[in-house]
Amino acid sequence: MNPEELTKLKSLLGRDPNSTEIALMEQLWSEHCSYKSSRFYLKTFSWRNESIVMGVQEWGDAGAFKLDDGTIVVLKLESHNHPSALDPFNGAATGVGGVIRDVISVGARPVALLDMLRVGPITDRRSREILRGVVKGIGFYGNSIGVPVIGGELSFDSSYLNNPLVDVACVGVSTHGLKSKTLRAGQKLVIVGLTGLDGMGGASFASKPLDGQDQRGAIQIADPFSGKIVMDKTLQLMDLVDDIKDLGAGGIGVAILELVGELGAVIDLSRVPLRVKNMTPEQVLVSETQERMIYVIEPSKVEKFCGEFRKVDYACEEIGEVTAESKVTFIFEGKVIASIPNIAVKYRPISRWSVGERREPFVTEYRNSNLEESILSVLKHEDLVSKEWVYSQYDYEVLASTIIRPGWADASVIRLPNGKFLALKGDANPDLCQWDAFRCAKAIFAEAFRNLSTVGAKPRAAVDHLQFGSPASPGVYRDFIDSVYGLAEASKFFNVPIVGGKVSFYNEDSNGNPIKPTPLVVMAGITERRPPKFQVEAGDSLLLLGFTRGGLGGSLYQKLFGGKWEIPDPILVDDLRASELVSSWVNRGLVRYAKDVGKGGLVGALIPIIKESLGVTIEIDSIIADSTDPRVKLFSESGGRFLLVGDDSIISEAEENGIHCNKIGQITEKRTLRVGDLEIELQEVISSYHSLLEERMN
Amino acid sequence: MIAVIKFPGTTCELETAMALKEAGLRGEIVDHADFDPDRFESVVLPGGFSFGDYLRAGAIAAGSESLKKIKEMADSGKKVLGICNGFQILTEAGLLRGALLPNLNGRFLTKWVYLKVVRDDTAITRNLGGRVLFMPIAHAEGRYYGEGDWVQRTIVMTYSSATGEVNEKWNPNGSLWNTAAVANESGNVVGMMPHPERASFPFSRSTDGLQLLRGLGGR
Repeated sequence: MNPEELTKLKSLLGRDPNSTEIALMEQLWSEHCSYKSSRFYLKTFSWRNESIVMGVQEWGDAGAFKLDDGTIVVLKLESHNHPSALDPFNGAATGVGGVIRDVISVGARPVALLDMLRVGPITDRRSREILRGVVKGIGFYGNSIGVPVIGGELSFDSSYLNNPLVDVACVGVSTHGLKSKTLRAGQKLVIVGLTGLDGMGGASFASKPLDGQDQRGAIQIADPFSGKIVMDKTLQLMDLVDDIKDLGAGGIGVAILELVGELGAVIDLSRVPLRVKNMTPEQVLVSETQERMIYVIEPSKVEKFCGEFRKVDYACEEIGEVTAESKVTFIFEGKVIASIPNIAVKYRPISRWSVGERREPFVTEYRNSNLEESILSVLKHEDLVSKEWVYSQYDYEVLASTIIRPGWADASVIRLPNGKFLALKGDANPDLCQWDAFRCAKAIFAEAFRNLSTVGAKPRAAVDHLQFGSPASPGVYRDFIDSVYGLAEASKFFNVPIVGGKVSFYNEDSNGNPIKPTPLVVMAGITERRPPKFQVEAGDSLLLLGFTRGGLGGSLYQKLFGGKWEIPDPILVDDLRASELVSSWVNRGLVRYAKDVGKGGLVGALIPIIKESLGVTIEIDSIIADSTDPRVKLFSESGGRFLLVGDDSIISEAEENGIHCNKIGQITEKRTLRVGDLEIELQEVISSYHSLLEERMN
Repeated sequence: MIAVIKFPGTTCELETAMALKEAGLRGEIVDHADFDPDRFESVVLPGGFSFGDYLRAGAIAAGSESLKKIKEMADSGKKVLGICNGFQILTEAGLLRGALLPNLNGRFLTKWVYLKVVRDDTAITRNLGGRVLFMPIAHAEGRYYGEGDWVQRTIVMTYSSATGEVNEKWNPNGSLWNTAAVANESGNVVGMMPHPERASFPFSRSTDGLQLLRGLGGR
């Protein structure tokens, strides 16, 4: 706690705080829990449409939207970056446990997970080790608790060498409304699970750079079997409880302070069931041991509730009650060890940082390469190869509702209990965001929107995660603010509210170099019709929908070959109109292949065709673009474009809507890529697509 | 009525019960501690991680009181199907012979596979001899192993190509003789690593699982 915050605490308490109170408030006022560097700007997301039942205003653990029949879909996104850097297996596994409990705590049943992973270069041994541990950890937890990981992202970049990004999103469904904070004096506070010594001070650990010191005490240990018991019993006993709070960052102390609102509470820490003997009350207060929850329950129902947990030998104990007094008191062996008045409970500090200027337009040295080398480098890039090595370690078919499985399309799809289909996609683009976070944030939101259209889904809501270096760096803080505004503008334009999110600062290496700015969006959409599995064959014509614009700034091409390029300025109306057309074509059965043009440009969009052991001929003159440069035509990542195979009628329909749609080539049996006079053998690309990750990781 | 037994850590009970319904049968999810064998004609042990798979996969559930009751049911000729973790439990409990070892690649593996039915005198494969079925596997410990002349006779389904070729190329986990499912001698106790309940709904990638599950009906 800094000196100003300590002074503030003294004045709120009207006396000197004791050491326990300082430890408690340090957690509550940590960046992780209080959003002190970001809260002001995050209010930019504060709008909603009629279908949103839980938005950013609730400042809750998750966001939610409602379908016509009353079914509620809950979204939650969180990272476990610092823990995964130190202990990839447990760090990633507990991250999964955390998002799942957040979804349960609003009263929904978790039905799907996504994982978005960013690690150091694939050539780096330590980065591969981290990836191995992270994937194993996510699989361990997700598989054991029985929630399928249905999609995600994996990319490699030296920016994440010391600070991997491990983002996990969880989706939940409820057909009986959500739990909302309706506290009354006299309700009992009940904890389940044992409290131990792991995860001490995790919230403040996550709010500082990794300093290279031994911080393993801050890591929590994953126990998915216990997590499964907590999940199953909570879902079974939902009617007995009035409210639920996950014990996440900051432990019991922070959970109670965040829970009480206008009321108060008395908690007897000596009643908390412990895993180890002789824990100090302070340790009990801030421990972040996993697989614990706090429930708000009417006194008459506590016995029945705890009886169900004890039946499976799971600790369940009443530890206190809600009071009308406007303070939170923690007692240990009859003595008050901390007493925080409501005025201090409600107060959250704010950190004001200076905002740097926008970065200069960016130039990197151009490495000349011929077209063949450029095409092959993109086709074989490790970010674009098959991720089967990752997904096959996840039980993505559990619950028997997975429709579009990982790697099949631009978005994943599950069937909901009401018979509708839910599409999900996570998108980020740090290579672009490093040059212009505002344009980039708009671009990733637009990309997620396009991705959902390729399976015919109408986007309904999004959650975001804003991941940066230290806010004390004016350039980093500028990137953060630009990301917020970019996402907010796109969200409003597309009428897709951002219903929740997280912020993670202090992602940097031991020399203080920040990660590339990495805002990330997970978007959810609904479709009535079961999306088809795309099928292409030799002889099919390739159609390009949309207008190709120059500006390879932030593209994969620039990452590989450098050069001075403009940063593309997203034209959201292009994305919106093209996406709506594609979505309607998918739903009317007019397309047999629909791929968003994104990373790697048009060449990247060919990969799902080439991997089926097919060849492609591209007529470069047929690509409608604002440049004659073949590099622009082949590698531009400008938005609003889709590569399609389908009925001829879509060409005229596109043109009636004022959107370009041209035949730009054909799928061939011969496994080569022909562009003008150039003919590239694809056999090696095909085999590297399928085996690169498997070979590198084994 | 078919009992779908839930242990702490079981993950597949809901879709297994729904798949039985899809197959025209009646399944009821029963907590292992409350299991009354007299109420049921047959039993399914669904997939998951019973008791967290601590010790060995299925080992703790195999020692539970409910398995004694299931053994009695099996001895009296009632049908018992173990799927994935349920198969592991049945081998641990000695209702089926052989063992399920960690996959050869040492990792958890989800994959859609083809299965060739090689034995049609069991509860779930009657009239399916020679058929090739399509459904997913998802496990870390599914490499079937056994020693002795009896092994060949127990095999009910083997991993194969789409056209029913059985060789090492189609073996996802290193199982002896591509074994995916086995049964006891009289065929009323069957264990299988693949998940029929995940290939049982109109929206599933395949509905081949129903052909197997339907066998649980009747005597």
